[in-house]
Amino acid sequence: MISAKPRHLLSAFLVAAALLFTAAQASAGGVLKIAREQDSTTFDPIYTILAPDIWVFNQFYSTLVRANATATDIEPDLAEKWEISADGTVYTFHLREAKFSDGTPVLASDVVFSLLRARDDEKSVLRSMFSPIDKAEAPDDRTVVLKLKGPSAPLMSTLAMFAASVLPEHAVKAEGEGFGEKPVGSGAFVLKEWKRGDRIILARNPLYWEKGLPKLDGIEWIYVPNDNTRMLKLKAGEVDAATFVPWNQIKELQADKNIQVQLDKSTRMDHILVNHAHKPLDNKLVRQALNMAIDQKAIVDVVTSGYGTVANSFFPLDGMDYNPDNPNYPYDPAKAKKILDEQGVKDLTLNFALVAGDTAHDQIGVLVKDQLAKVGVAVNLVKMEGGQQWDALVNGDYDIGVMWWVNDVFDPDEKAQFCVSGDPENRSYYTNYKNPVVTDLVNKAAVEQDPAKRKQMYFDIQRLAKDDVHWIDLYYSPFRNASRANVTGFVQNPLGRYMLETADITN
Amino acid sequence: MGRYRFILWRPLQLVPVLLGVSLISFLLVHAIPGDPVRILLGTRATAAVIEATRAQYGLDQPLALQYLYFLKNLAAGEFGKSIIFKIGIPKLVVSRIVPTLFLLGYAIFMSVVIAIGFAVLAAVYRGRWPDQVVRVYSTAGLGLPAFWLGIVLIILFSIELGLFPVSGYGETPLDHLHHLFLPALTIALALSPVLIRNLRASLLAEMEADYVKAARSRGLSEAKIFRRHIFRNSLIPTITLLGVNVGWLIGGTVVVEQVFSVPGLGSLMVSSIFARDYLVVQVVTLAFALAVILTNFIVDIVTVALDPRVKL
Repeated sequence: MISAKPRHLLSAFLVAAALLFTAAQASAGGVLKIAREQDSTTFDPIYTILAPDIWVFNQFYSTLVRANATATDIEPDLAEKWEISADGTVYTFHLREAKFSDGTPVLASDVVFSLLRARDDEKSVLRSMFSPIDKAEAPDDRTVVLKLKGPSAPLMSTLAMFAASVLPEHAVKAEGEGFGEKPVGSGAFVLKEWKRGDRIILARNPLYWEKGLPKLDGIEWIYVPNDNTRMLKLKAGEVDAATFVPWNQIKELQADKNIQVQLDKSTRMDHILVNHAHKPLDNKLVRQALNMAIDQKAIVDVVTSGYGTVANSFFPLDGMDYNPDNPNYPYDPAKAKKILDEQGVKDLTLNFALVAGDTAHDQIGVLVKDQLAKVGVAVNLVKMEGGQQWDALVNGDYDIGVMWWVNDVFDPDEKAQFCVSGDPENRSYYTNYKNPVVTDLVNKAAVEQDPAKRKQMYFDIQRLAKDDVHWIDLYYSPFRNASRANVTGFVQNPLGRYMLETADITN
Repeated sequence: MGRYRFILWRPLQLVPVLLGVSLISFLLVHAIPGDPVRILLGTRATAAVIEATRAQYGLDQPLALQYLYFLKNLAAGEFGKSIIFKIGIPKLVVSRIVPTLFLLGYAIFMSVVIAIGFAVLAAVYRGRWPDQVVRVYSTAGLGLPAFWLGIVLIILFSIELGLFPVSGYGETPLDHLHHLFLPALTIALALSPVLIRNLRASLLAEMEADYVKAARSRGLSEAKIFRRHIFRNSLIPTITLLGVNVGWLIGGTVVVEQVFSVPGLGSLMVSSIFARDYLVVQVVTLAFALAVILTNFIVDIVTVALDPRVKL
């Protein structure tokens, strides 16, 4: 109904308006602009375990040692070399010559201060991971000696994690809690400006110890919470990269020749928690039957648009001591029905704790409800707000519930302790699963110094946990990022760390 | 003198209103299940760390006591600290308030321009096709969801035509105008239908008024009558309506700021609710309430100034 004239006027007005705002949109050489779905809260490495925080401050800080690109082994970072005593209780690290971004040298006393702070500060989130350290000493400026309470197999892996970031003692003491806003580290980049709710601007650290790195002049982490807006910004070329590509947009983005989609190996695993304290879920045979009644392949295909992999173990795919041949339950509803009948399970209704508004949870809920209906088990989908679902799981107020996990460290000890050891506090990730054989193996593996023996223990743990159906494994899925075609190295290692010191923008 | 007494009385009336708002927002935000500390620290934090953090923020106290502390601190001008961002709330709010005010002002300006343009067009061409088009828009426009409209505008003007940035806020004031054009337009397209309907109706009513006929009979030009009498008199109810809609406008910015990732108070509000950052939600709610009350106050003053007959 609009005649030619007003339309003409409208477009003329819009063009004029756009011309008026000839804003400086030219991209500044080597600054990588990344759109991401969450904002940071702090840069203090011991007060957070939120992925959006960690992913940014990974660029500020160095650690004694770090995980390699595949997160299967450790490599030197601030420590050039190290020795471990024969009994596995004394670790001696020799530091390279490095400087903090404020120009002061990295001293052994800074390392000691940082590790003890992570272990002792009342609000340090992962204190328990540093508890094997009995004493930390600095005999000279370049030597750090850690004396442990006993042998600890996962220690090196812990020293490579974000919470073990080496901070300058003088700056932390001077700033107090304000340090989380004014980070000083010895990593590849330094904080230039933090515009809360908008963006975090990083500049190259000219004092970074690794010669020739970083390649970029800077990084901007830009907060764009809406999935569609984030992808549209990438398509429009307003940003160079974007995180968390929605599964259903991967194909479309791959078809755009200006864009590349990175599906990087991750330690992410999605699973269904089963509350062993509720009858008849305390019966192992019933849990096995439920596992057999759930079609993992159908779920992974729907939820991840086929980009995920069926999980056969609670250990992450290709991670340290993961057993690729761990026997999985076949999808067999007939057999499941038979077992349930034999166990006298009738008129069973399960409360399924899900997060409302979460697409993956919606899909998993519908599929599981449908699949379990085929074996005569009714499922009541209880959709809750995220925090509420969390509370329900922690309080044991659920029958089954969807959850996920990404490893903080590559060593399997943390996950085994938390998910299957039956620790009285977290009760095997709030499932109340307890198997004394598994508990014993988890404790022994934590101190075992022989890698081959240790590996065998973890293989046994994976097999036993699977046999017990401590939870129901669903799928592994890759990290999903996208970047413009001229960006190289916008990748995550399996622990989620963006390896941006080697990223670059060409032409 | 009497008509201006309200200017003195109104600020006093603020106190009970704000108290009510603070109590309701406090109860509502605490009624949402979920624990900020657990959200902050994750499933893997130990009970000891959770307890220490809870105590640090006074979240281990009984609810009534928490509310009283909140009031006491407010009275002392202490707004407390954000649990999530670990900084003082005034600092946090100040860092976010400018983009929101900019967006609000821009959106109101655009709404008024669109509303006046379309309503005058419709009134002048009453019953003919321009009027029909405006009426269809002012009815259909009421149902447009802002998040959908925003995405459509982005696809059209940013991706297809490349005229405006997809999202963000920019650096300089001119840059802000450029970046916030689509978000402001989204709000304006959703708000203007109400204003258009209202203004069109009052324009038509005024056009038929006796004093207009009298002016016409005295031989005044149509343009002059329209400008001097009809338009000016029609504006009063519309301004009042705009004032009443400030609450709605603020709600609109919350959604629009999310879609266009504008670093304002609206997006802070949303992320704080998700994180159960109680104090931030309470303080931002109070700030919004204060804004609505002040706007209504200003609207009242403007109305009095425009129309000497109005009594308050």
